[in-house]
Amino acid sequence: MSVSTDDQPVPAPPEAEGQAAHPPELLHVPVEQRFPLLGLAERYALLVLTVGICLYFSVSPKSGDVFASLSNVNVVLGGQTAVLMIAIAAVFPLVAGHIDFSLGATTAASMVLAAGLMSRHDVPLSACVVACLVMGALVGLVNGVAVTVFGMNPFVTTLGVATLLGGIILWYTGGQTIFQGISPELRVFGSSKVAGLPQVTAVVAVVAVLAWYLLSQTPYGRSLYAIGSNPVSARLVGLRVGRNVMLAFVTSGTIAGAAGVLQLSRTGSATADSGTALLFPALAAVFLGATAIRPGFFNVVGTVIGALFVSFSVSGLTLSGADSWVSPVFNGIALLVAVGLSTWLGARRRSRQ
Amino acid sequence: MTLLPGPVSAATEGATAALSVAGLTKRFGATLALDDASLAVRPGTVHALLGGNGSGKSTAIKVLAGVHQADAGRVRIGGRDQDLTSWSAADAREAGLRFVHQDLGLFEGLSIAENFAFDAGFPTRSGAAIRWRSLHCRVREVLDDYELDVDPRTPINELRPADRTMVAIARALQDASGCGDRGLVLVLDEPTASLAQHESALLLTKLRRRAELGQTVVMVSHRMAEVLSVADDFTVFRDGRTVATLVDAHPTEDALVELMAGRAVEELRPVGGTTATSTVRVSVRGLAGGPLRGVDLDALAGEIVGIAGLVGSGRSTLLRMLFGDRRPDAGEVTLDGRPYRPRDVPDALVAGVAYVPEDRGGEAAFPDLSIADNLSVTRLRSYWGLRGMNRRREHDVGRALVSDFKVKAAGTTALFSSMSGGNQQKVVLARWLQQDPALLLLDEPTQGVDVMSRVDIYATIREAARRGSAVLVASSDASELLALCDRIVILREGRADEVLAAEGLDPDVLTRKLLRSSGAQQEER
Repeated sequence: MSVSTDDQPVPAPPEAEGQAAHPPELLHVPVEQRFPLLGLAERYALLVLTVGICLYFSVSPKSGDVFASLSNVNVVLGGQTAVLMIAIAAVFPLVAGHIDFSLGATTAASMVLAAGLMSRHDVPLSACVVACLVMGALVGLVNGVAVTVFGMNPFVTTLGVATLLGGIILWYTGGQTIFQGISPELRVFGSSKVAGLPQVTAVVAVVAVLAWYLLSQTPYGRSLYAIGSNPVSARLVGLRVGRNVMLAFVTSGTIAGAAGVLQLSRTGSATADSGTALLFPALAAVFLGATAIRPGFFNVVGTVIGALFVSFSVSGLTLSGADSWVSPVFNGIALLVAVGLSTWLGARRRSRQ
Repeated sequence: MTLLPGPVSAATEGATAALSVAGLTKRFGATLALDDASLAVRPGTVHALLGGNGSGKSTAIKVLAGVHQADAGRVRIGGRDQDLTSWSAADAREAGLRFVHQDLGLFEGLSIAENFAFDAGFPTRSGAAIRWRSLHCRVREVLDDYELDVDPRTPINELRPADRTMVAIARALQDASGCGDRGLVLVLDEPTASLAQHESALLLTKLRRRAELGQTVVMVSHRMAEVLSVADDFTVFRDGRTVATLVDAHPTEDALVELMAGRAVEELRPVGGTTATSTVRVSVRGLAGGPLRGVDLDALAGEIVGIAGLVGSGRSTLLRMLFGDRRPDAGEVTLDGRPYRPRDVPDALVAGVAYVPEDRGGEAAFPDLSIADNLSVTRLRSYWGLRGMNRRREHDVGRALVSDFKVKAAGTTALFSSMSGGNQQKVVLARWLQQDPALLLLDEPTQGVDVMSRVDIYATIREAARRGSAVLVASSDASELLALCDRIVILREGRADEVLAAEGLDPDVLTRKLLRSSGAQQEER
């Protein structure tokens, strides 16, 4: 894999830039240090809110009995498997400053690929899983190469890849749902439980821990945060910007591929769907997550809390008798509020002077 | 010349002043940023507002602009005495104050006329269609008035840097021209900070002419030589107080620095002679590419070599090639006797080469990351172990560096962008110097840095040389090269044309040599 952005032409001469840092006069103490409680509140507000909403729906007479039951927790966690995985996947490119809209479609394509291989070609389960992961990684690689080597706009590129994948899914399935010949092992895996919770949730948890470790505890993750902060500076301190960004897309594609297998194990069938319904709640979770734990930055722990917040809120509302339109409306509002909040937090970080 | 070592009595001065401020006090939390500061600006003069970082001069400007509200203080402008505790941006505009900041606030891709119109409104006919002809006509008049020989339809990014600043100034003052002198006061915050030397000279000449035509200008700048060349009066702030007001004066740079620092200027000069050894650390032969056409250059371990040359002479290109960020077309480089051919920046890092670019904000900073993150970014691997990143050690190392390099910061968790320019530059230097580079490449190391931090930075660079680094310093500031370097190499026509010993060299001689090279170049063409 060659490094592309490292060979970019020398930027414009400095006199054309005209934005040397302006020296502020005072020594500024971060808000967290002046008011430790405020920083703490900012960090854990989303977690507290999530717990609060869960408590509310647990005691609310309309939803209480069902909401607090273990089976409802199972339904919510199991149902959110793919969304959680896609949310975790989306964090990687976002940290490096790029968005990946193709993750939902990658997951959908991975479901169709696994189902198709099993029902039409009798491929063993393990090979299917490998195929799905490889496919996810390849989609990530295509995105990564387009963005880093050819300098294409990630927004449009990944949207294009998503549309393309949606079309291929439609062609492959002929618009039909694939439900025959799905490995029973996979079905059993999808419906069995560990410590009272869905087994797939345990897999998601493992992936989340791995992603957290990669992003916050390795030079790779720290490089991504540096690249997201200033790609030019990153290049000039010797970080391999192109390689790292490409790797971020590949990592996220692979996770999205895995998400497809997990989702198939839950649903037992693959529909001719392009995965948009999975992507947007996931993005809402990621942007909500950027307001928590490490405010102003995309982070895995915040993302998981964000996903739980959205899914338990929707579950509670549904159980309280809200109509079916409430869920997308809630997701939309959550996404808007999250983006607004993280933009505001970012702006405040920059101008906290 | 009248030197008033202390605040001017606002009562006596205020009557004739175009702008006067008295009793200005502003507190941020526990910090007293301004403590009974005062300022009196005579009409039709260029008034320099000086002070080191933390002296309160920027805060004073922000209070006048209505960004911050003062805790106490009064302003008198255009004959009206007003309270600064409830002073807003609209009040400032209404009173006739016009601000042009370092970031000019121009829309790069749009034309001059459109930029003017966004400030003053588009002339429209009924039905809200824009009357372009009338707009262009009006803007052309203003531009003529400001001796800007450009078409109003020219996009901003096609203007030379000095003209951009002038356009921003003309835009700020556009409602004054044509309708007589309304006594607008122009406040310039670091107008030349991002301009190359010849561009800023051009700008200052034009500015001087505006003042002679009766424009009152208040100017904040770190570049002492420029301030001295253009200003009539000087007000020096220190620790939030007005420590001196010099009316119609011609002080020396040393005298001003002394007032700003509150100590004798000798202490501020870098100390220690050369630390050059006899070992050749880096040797460049025939390096070509871009503006370079075969540069030969040697630097000894412990030696500081200045790279001088006019804009476009390839100073930055040379450093970037040595850092592997740009491939040379031809040439050989040896580092400690071994061939050195970096294909990219990581190669240069492995070879022990460090580079501090000129554009700190755009190319060296991670503004929204912490100071510790900014310091550890070049050596992330060394903090990584089985248990992940050792953040505690990162912060321990960071704290040690912050104190070693005299960075004034609220701990290593503070954001990089929360520091002043001088402290940011110290952090960037500390990032590289913590690993004792074999070759240290510095491009304009004190740009946008206040006088006080500059002294610390010079000392830091000397110390790096003493520890054995070969240092190449590219700078457009002749006095900086003379204060810092052992030898100075002049780049001319793509070659290292002349090598001078810095000791005993006069800044004017160096400047003249540099300018002469441009004359020679022009004659050839």
